[in-house]
Amino acid sequence: MKRVISLLFIAALALLLLYVVSRMPPMGEPDIPTAVRVVPRYLEKAEEETHARNVVTGVILNYRGFDTMGEVTVIYCALAAVLAVLGREKRGRIRDYVELSGLRSSVIVRAMVSLVVPFIVLFSIYTILHGETSPGGGFQGGAVIGASMIIFTTIFGLHLSSVKVPQGFRASLEGVAVITFFLVGVLGILGGGNFLTYAWPKVSESVHPALVTWLTVLVEVGIGLGGAMVLISMLFAMVREEGADEPMA
Amino acid sequence: MNLWHNYHYAVAMVLFCVGLYTVIMRRNIIKKIIGLNIMETSVFLFLISIGYRKGGVAPIHAEGLDPSRMVNPLPQSLILTGIVVAVSVTALALSMVILLYRQFGTLDVSRLFREETEEAD
Amino acid sequence: MSGGIRHLPILMITLPMVGAALMPFISYVRRGAVPWASALFLAASSALGLALIGKIPPDGSVGYRLGGWEPPFGIELMVDFTGYFLMMVVCGISLLSLVYSRPYIMREVEGGKITAYYVLFLLLSASMMGFVVTGDIFNLFVFMEILSISSYALVAVTGNRNAVRAAFKYLLMGAPSSIMVLLGIGLLYSVTGTLNMADLAMRIGESGYREVLIAAYAVLVLAFMVKAAIFPLHLWLPDAHSIAPSPMSAMLSGLVVAVSAFAIGRITFSVFTTRPWGLVSSTLEALAAAGAAAVLFGGIMAIYQRDFKMMIAYSTVSHMGYIVLGLTALNPEGLTGAVYHVLDHGVAKACLFLCAGNFIYRKGIRRIDQLKGAWQEMPWTCFAFALAAWSVIGLPPSAGFISKWYLVYGNVKADRVPYAVVLLLGSILAAVYCFRVIYYMFFQPGEEGAWGDKVADAPSGMLAPTWILSLATLFFGVFSYLFIDSLLKAAASLL
Repeated sequence: MKRVISLLFIAALALLLLYVVSRMPPMGEPDIPTAVRVVPRYLEKAEEETHARNVVTGVILNYRGFDTMGEVTVIYCALAAVLAVLGREKRGRIRDYVELSGLRSSVIVRAMVSLVVPFIVLFSIYTILHGETSPGGGFQGGAVIGASMIIFTTIFGLHLSSVKVPQGFRASLEGVAVITFFLVGVLGILGGGNFLTYAWPKVSESVHPALVTWLTVLVEVGIGLGGAMVLISMLFAMVREEGADEPMA
Repeated sequence: MNLWHNYHYAVAMVLFCVGLYTVIMRRNIIKKIIGLNIMETSVFLFLISIGYRKGGVAPIHAEGLDPSRMVNPLPQSLILTGIVVAVSVTALALSMVILLYRQFGTLDVSRLFREETEEAD
Repeated sequence: MSGGIRHLPILMITLPMVGAALMPFISYVRRGAVPWASALFLAASSALGLALIGKIPPDGSVGYRLGGWEPPFGIELMVDFTGYFLMMVVCGISLLSLVYSRPYIMREVEGGKITAYYVLFLLLSASMMGFVVTGDIFNLFVFMEILSISSYALVAVTGNRNAVRAAFKYLLMGAPSSIMVLLGIGLLYSVTGTLNMADLAMRIGESGYREVLIAAYAVLVLAFMVKAAIFPLHLWLPDAHSIAPSPMSAMLSGLVVAVSAFAIGRITFSVFTTRPWGLVSSTLEALAAAGAAAVLFGGIMAIYQRDFKMMIAYSTVSHMGYIVLGLTALNPEGLTGAVYHVLDHGVAKACLFLCAGNFIYRKGIRRIDQLKGAWQEMPWTCFAFALAAWSVIGLPPSAGFISKWYLVYGNVKADRVPYAVVLLLGSILAAVYCFRVIYYMFFQPGEEGAWGDKVADAPSGMLAPTWILSLATLFFGVFSYLFIDSLLKAAASLL
């Protein structure tokens, strides 16, 4: 009975939404409201105003920078949430399934992973630093670093990973994205503008291109580093086996 | 009537309902989380389609590229935020699942709630 | 507002954020410093807020352009008097609950999770402050997500199996509603091409895509109804709010749901300013009906609860109905009543939960019938409870009386006498469930040996926030004239 009611409800919702879709502006046409409002300015002026050739980066870090500050806060909040639910690993020897099972991956896999991981990290640094001229940016780069640690942890186990990226290092850098944004924001105020103003009115216009570019890179690096540490800490909290000595209930 | 022309939006809406159905009806909590992700992805598809432009190019400035041909960059930047939010919610949900499984030994919603009624007596 | 002072609202929001970001490092160096450092950041934020007193004009609002970009292109904070008022409410109640947390959390939460608790606490307060003043609808979504994620996790922080289950239930209802908010924003954006609330209000007035706008409105209202736990969608609230650690229950019940209910008002008054279409007003009618049902249902359910915190949680369901009835009256009196109700409900409800926390801390008492004779053992807590209950019922001279007066007045003025009657009935129900507890506390003799050895009242670090909150219900009742005029003006300018 409950099943039927839910199905009917969802079917009705789908029909309503499809009706709404049929009344929406035609997709992809040049004269729909989304194409004529707000966006033309981004497309035409972004390069000179934000000094980023990638307009998306300009919008994310500059025009709507505060959203991105909220976004790094969200992912930092998610880390705190995961730690509030699962707890942070204790300092010292920690174990996960790989270690408990006593299984070892074959030597080929181990050799491949230890060869590939440094290149993945190198690629992530490229992604972070080239966010303003090409697709990419801090989040993407941070996620790539996180992925490299996932590969490393699945093969070599949690203990070795936590030796490579120790807790104190992560604890100092987890919040770095939020802190970078805050610092750039406050510098904007001190420079005579508003919170998160990149082109400080107090310095001469000729410095602006370099200033904006460097602040953008700074923010990208902060996001990348912070995002990577958040993902790694989350990973460690989630793969850690609790009560390894007790039999599973 | 733009339903046929807006088929991207239509697919997104159908996906949204599929996700909602999964969240409401599936008993396995991992599948519920997958349903959540389907809902999220459908909204991302919807937003990205809003920014689509016929014959558009990526919004990255290059020599001799006319800015008016670029696709809308705003939905793309919104989606980036949306993806991070989705990842965060999924991470939290999965860590709760880990804890629930440790404590109850089941992923089945009806068994989780049956125990609740037993305890209430 | 000019000079350095215009930067204060944004610093108020971002200070707790950066404090939260510094916390893992502080914890790594010295774990004992975390509670004090957190309190320091929130106190700094409150101090900045106090510096703004008298600087926000009651009619109109102060825009703050983030990054210096003009509104439709960048994000703008719209600090109006209502938003500022709510920010201060959030700051005050958060600070008191945070101070209260230290002894309570040390006992309930295992050592490794304490830092995470404080990080989430700071982020929760910061996000609520951002949530009430942002002028950009996508930014509203971002803050709502910080708010939601930290709330889900804080319910589960004790690691108790029932707590995790309640938190997961909360997440399973909360997360789809967040996605619906995003869908609603997408629909709005697709027909207006803008995300700034003031600009949206203008575009909506001249837009021809009526069906899409109505759908967007309905989706947004429905989603925020889940977040605010308004009657048929309240299912997650009683479990989550009763099982969370008590200072967290105070935050969730006193602030989080009320702020979400306020978001409905924000969408209605700041975005859909012109409401010429039948369906939008019928959405509002349905919302009002749900609110009226919530008042009665929450009150009746509260009477039947055996668990003390469960009763307070159902009382919150009932009070969310009050706020909705005030918002939907669509006149300055009703809106003022709703905003003032956010204040007095927040203060009184936080106080009730902190009292419940005192009983749990000292004796592990959760059931109402275990409170027999509590008066002789823990007099301070019991008197604080009685004062806060006075305000929950809405008797003069408490703050609850003032807000209920305006709520009833607003509804009568809007020719909605039945709803005004419902509001009064809600007060009677509140009187029943509150006096039941007071009867047990004060007029029932304690069973021999039920309290065991002589117990002291809660430690002063916990009693002080409880008493400040209970006296605040009186203060905001007696001195309500300081705020009401400005709130009425602000409400009139919003409508």
